[in-house]
Amino acid sequence: MSLSSCPITRRTLAFVASLCLLTPAWALDPPAGAPLLTISGNVAEKNQAGAAVFDLAMLEALPQKSFVTNTPWDKQATKFTGPLLRDVLAAAKATGTTLTAFALNDYKTSIPVDDARRFDVIVAHRINDQPISVRTKGPLFIIYPFDSVPELKAAKYFSRSAWQLKSLSVD
Amino acid sequence: MTGTRDTQRYLLWLALGTTVMAAAMAVLLALQFTQQQAIRKSADLRSDSITALSFQLEREFLRLRHVIDVNAHSQGPVDIDALTLRSDVFASRYQLLKDAPSASALQERSEYKSAMPRLEALIAQIDHAMLAPAVPTRLQLQELVHGFNALGADVQDLTMVATRRTAELLEQQETTMLAQSRQIMALILAQLVLLLTAAAALAWRQRRQEQEKRAMQQLTRSLQEANLAAEAANRGKSQFLANMSHELRTPFNGVLGMLNLLERTALNGAQQDYVATARSSADHLLSLLNDILDVSAMETGKMGIYPATMDLQALFASVDQLMRPVAEQKGLQLQTDVAADLPQWIHADSTRLKQIVLNLLANAIKFSETGKVTLQLSCDGSDSDTPRTETFPLRLEVRDEGISMDADTQAKLFKRFTQGDDSTSRRFGGTGLGLEISRNLARRMGGDISVTSVRGVGSTFTVVLPLTLAAPPPSKVERVPQLPALARPHEVQGLTVLIADDHVVNRKYMGSLLEDMGHVVQFAADGVQAYAAVQQSKPDLVLMDLHMPIMDGFEATCTIRKLHDRDQLPIVALTADVFEEARQKASDCGMNGFITKPVNVGVLQETLTGLFGLRGAPAQAPEQAPEQAQSRRASQSEARPEPPAATLQDELRATTPRPVRKRFRPGDVAAHLDMSMIGDVCIGVSAQGYRSLLHSFFQDESGALDALLAAIDSAPVDLRAPAHAFKGAVANLGFHKLASIALHLEKSGVGPDETTATRTELLEAWTMAHALCQRMGLTDVASVHERHEAAQPGKD
Repeated sequence: MSLSSCPITRRTLAFVASLCLLTPAWALDPPAGAPLLTISGNVAEKNQAGAAVFDLAMLEALPQKSFVTNTPWDKQATKFTGPLLRDVLAAAKATGTTLTAFALNDYKTSIPVDDARRFDVIVAHRINDQPISVRTKGPLFIIYPFDSVPELKAAKYFSRSAWQLKSLSVD
Repeated sequence: MTGTRDTQRYLLWLALGTTVMAAAMAVLLALQFTQQQAIRKSADLRSDSITALSFQLEREFLRLRHVIDVNAHSQGPVDIDALTLRSDVFASRYQLLKDAPSASALQERSEYKSAMPRLEALIAQIDHAMLAPAVPTRLQLQELVHGFNALGADVQDLTMVATRRTAELLEQQETTMLAQSRQIMALILAQLVLLLTAAAALAWRQRRQEQEKRAMQQLTRSLQEANLAAEAANRGKSQFLANMSHELRTPFNGVLGMLNLLERTALNGAQQDYVATARSSADHLLSLLNDILDVSAMETGKMGIYPATMDLQALFASVDQLMRPVAEQKGLQLQTDVAADLPQWIHADSTRLKQIVLNLLANAIKFSETGKVTLQLSCDGSDSDTPRTETFPLRLEVRDEGISMDADTQAKLFKRFTQGDDSTSRRFGGTGLGLEISRNLARRMGGDISVTSVRGVGSTFTVVLPLTLAAPPPSKVERVPQLPALARPHEVQGLTVLIADDHVVNRKYMGSLLEDMGHVVQFAADGVQAYAAVQQSKPDLVLMDLHMPIMDGFEATCTIRKLHDRDQLPIVALTADVFEEARQKASDCGMNGFITKPVNVGVLQETLTGLFGLRGAPAQAPEQAPEQAQSRRASQSEARPEPPAATLQDELRATTPRPVRKRFRPGDVAAHLDMSMIGDVCIGVSAQGYRSLLHSFFQDESGALDALLAAIDSAPVDLRAPAHAFKGAVANLGFHKLASIALHLEKSGVGPDETTATRTELLEAWTMAHALCQRMGLTDVASVHERHEAAQPGKD
């Protein structure tokens, strides 16, 4: 697939390029604490062999975003807090069109990189301002703002909301 | 009524249909809503189904058991990280099945109820074993494996139950949706049926309305046709009326003419009375005919208004003059109030204006028993101070103190054939057309007539007319403002008038009238003769009947006009035709005027003086015997100068006392005179004409008697020629005794010894005829026979 003939690729490239321009380039340090998220694949900024690895402090260092939304898994609205997915990808200098998310229970789901641009998808590490344990779908939770954008209330996006997130693969 | 009820029923059905339809729609909407809800719910179910939840739980259950089992049997150190991760993931799965909203579908099942507490207990046991910082012992792990094995069947059951439950829920939802679909379909079907019914009803109604509309159009058409037919019938009737009254006028002219002449003969008191009665009946009949003609002209739209410059003051003066005697005869007072600023010269149709005023005045006089009738002329409107240069709003009021009318009567007054009420109609007579005609005329002149009446006080008819002011005419009319007073002095020669008329009665009547006025008369029986007479003897005036055989008056006038123009030779139409077309056509042919038959002496005189001034006026009357003048005045409606023929007769009578034969025997008239023949001659040439013929005859102006007597005296000469001439004269006069003597002489001649006897017989018959004529008032001239008797010494 040539770059010039594929608009999506080009757009994504442009997006990533713009991210690179906007975000100050900092070197990704190796994680100090327990690694929470591993981003592999087309990642330019690597701090471990072939991947960019984040611990909680690194994720908390990125700009934080919070929203409250209803989900099919909770009986009441829940507040989620964490960095935007696009910021996380930018930190890793990831380039590609598709993300594959892997969970602790080996759940695997595919997320278009475009989603990160179009929606304020966050990689939540707090629910109702509390750190998330594995037992309560932690430690990381990819969450879409379902209540803000009506089109997100669909099985497609519900399935992309991966909890007990452990790693991302960028293609 | 049926239409209204139909409409009401239609509206009711419409409302009912709409309501049913709306209700069905509402139900449909509700069903759709619940269906949507159901679909949403099923979507929720799909997105996080209990099947997936329980399957994930079982899977993590098995994975944790495997990790524990491996660690329990391995010889190395216990992999605490793996154990913690798997147990955390398993615990999260348990939490999900316990808390997730979709799991509520499973919570009522006994399998769930029995498995969940045991699973919680197991988790608690794991947590206890893994409680940091202690690392679980192999024994603890083996116990856990036992616990896991004991729960294996329950966890599997949970998955199976969840699968079945999901299937049940889906089936239940499908059933619900199918039922709703059926309901929706039923409703749609019902709506469809209703819609089709409504459409059919509408179509049916539309068709019925179309039919009704067609029926209405048909009705309208037939009504229009009926209306047209009725109008045509009415027009036909009007035309018939016009034709009939027109036809009636022709013989009626004869009656009126003869009455005119009869009035002028010597009549005794009773005869004068009869003639006066006949005259007034005839006048009334004529006015009725004129009314009918006016009305039919109005209906056919042929009544024209012909304005010309006219003298308004003279018109009212003549109206006053005409109506004053009528009012006075009834013991009423006629008062005419004329405003000082009333203009003299205006532009209007004088005939029609006069008709209106006369009609109103005649009505006022007719319906008043006592009191006063007032004719008041003033300027209409409050702004009478402003100077008027072009128009004058005339306000003409006729007030009476007669029978008044209530509002109803006033409203009906101007309608056709209406008098105050039936009782007045019987009391006063009349056609009831007069007011309708008057109002119509006033409106055609741009004005109107209104009426007010106060019980016990009287009625007032008000005519308002916008009159156009006119400049005084330059020459002709101002010369003779008072026509009746005009008389022609002896030294002024009269006119030579050519009368063109195919009716001998009319010719004689007109001739008689004109001769009375001292004019010379010529006759023509048709247009060709008239044209010839004009060429031959160039008369001063032609009175032209319009309808004549061979060449009618129009054509004759056109032909004459090629020789002489209007000023050189005036031609005045003479006709019973009162329609405006005839009048217009006459004017177009170059005729100077128009006189309507029956010819009124006043009109004729007015026309003549209008054309010729003093020359056209009647000759000045000589001295008259008082009683003669008296009798004339009594027998005639208007005073007129005496004609010259009468003058001559009067002179003769005054100078020659008549030797009237004292006695007549019965049978003398029958023996000597053919009275029916005399009557025919009188009708032919009028009594006046006959009188003048007798005058000539008894004076022997032709010399026929002289010639015959001379021939007898000088016998035996041939008597045939003089006897024939004499016979012709006496036969024409109706003297049949003289005629038979003359016939005998013409046939047999006379013997020498019969001369004296024959002469005596002839003269005796002559004398007898003369005496009888004198006695009957047919002549008052002295006979010439004395002369002949004197010439015969042997005779006395």
